[in-house]
Amino acid sequence: MKIRAIGNLLILCATVALSYGMQVSKPHYAELTAPIPIDGAMHDTVRARSFDVRLDKVVFARTLKTNQFGQERLLTTSGLWAVVTADLTATSTSTTVAGGTWQGPTGLRYHHTERLSYRQDMPPHAVDPDLERNGLFVFEVPPDQIRGASLLVAARRFAPLDAQARISLDAVPTGADGQPTDVLPLYDLDAPAPPQGQTQQGQTQQGKT
Amino acid sequence: MFKTARSKFQTWITAGAGTIAALLVAGLMGAFGALPAHAPPQLPSDAAIDAGPWRVQPVRAYVSRAKVYGVPLKPGQKALVLEADMTNRTAQSDKAYFNVFKPDGIDLPDPLPMIALARDSTLTPELHPGMTERMAYVWPLARDAAVPANLSFGVTAEIFKPRDNLYGTPGWFNPYRLGTVAMPVADLPESGS
Repeated sequence: MKIRAIGNLLILCATVALSYGMQVSKPHYAELTAPIPIDGAMHDTVRARSFDVRLDKVVFARTLKTNQFGQERLLTTSGLWAVVTADLTATSTSTTVAGGTWQGPTGLRYHHTERLSYRQDMPPHAVDPDLERNGLFVFEVPPDQIRGASLLVAARRFAPLDAQARISLDAVPTGADGQPTDVLPLYDLDAPAPPQGQTQQGQTQQGKT
Repeated sequence: MFKTARSKFQTWITAGAGTIAALLVAGLMGAFGALPAHAPPQLPSDAAIDAGPWRVQPVRAYVSRAKVYGVPLKPGQKALVLEADMTNRTAQSDKAYFNVFKPDGIDLPDPLPMIALARDSTLTPELHPGMTERMAYVWPLARDAAVPANLSFGVTAEIFKPRDNLYGTPGWFNPYRLGTVAMPVADLPESGS
């Protein structure tokens, strides 16, 4: 009789422990519905569900120059401007790519800037199958959030259970202090793109103007 | 010695049992909620204030009769402006700063201010983690509204929950009044901005 009581107690304890373990280890709603990351590196084509993306270059600048309603605007920042150029293609049907986030090495997330008015080459990017399209993502980031950062590209800003390209920016040249080696004093968003293969030269020329 | 201590203790418990029970019951029934609430503390105006998701430092306050930071004013209006250095303390870009400051004791036609980035007058941009920016809170007022020379602004903060009760996601909830910060209000002449 006594052994049976002890056995029952043991079974009860085991059940409680098992239930508690299951409750603790259960993934939370936010984890269950999080975007599904697809990892990639710069200059590689990353295939997300509805679009393909290839990161070509990242330019850092202290000031951005842009035209707004025919007026020239100079945009300054307390950190650095990061202008990311990406090649985008849709996989099967015309769609838009709207979500661009700069994720720092410690996980801080910098959304695409809202200080630029709507432009043709800014998100949301309209993309079509088999038609490559250049798109810009522009971020304001502190200089210490550049080394080890990655770029998150998704079809929408909030894209639960949808694919999210996570492109590591390790190929961005940084100095010993973590700062990028090339920072332009001024970057003109409306200047014509430099010809392919002379990117570096084109950038420096643009910086001097 | 222990015997006397024990008997003393027993006497205390016996004599105090009624009081303890009364306090417990009163507490359970919420009698202490009727106590006068503590006044929100006075916050320093010359140091940064941690207000939940934002670190704020008020810089200056003034009344303007001209357009400030691109915020249009209707005819017959003036604007109460509070400039503050704001830093996003959270892990992602956010613009939930509309209720951080509220002027006390002033009749506002619209309680929600217009907020502009002082750097280039962008209206309500997202602020990025760890990047301090000067923001201008602009409350339009009637032209004849009286604004005291020393005005206190209520500062609202929120608490962080690693998991909210609905979705289990992290976020900032339950706004509460952190305190008030008193600022001298300059009255700018017509042409000033």
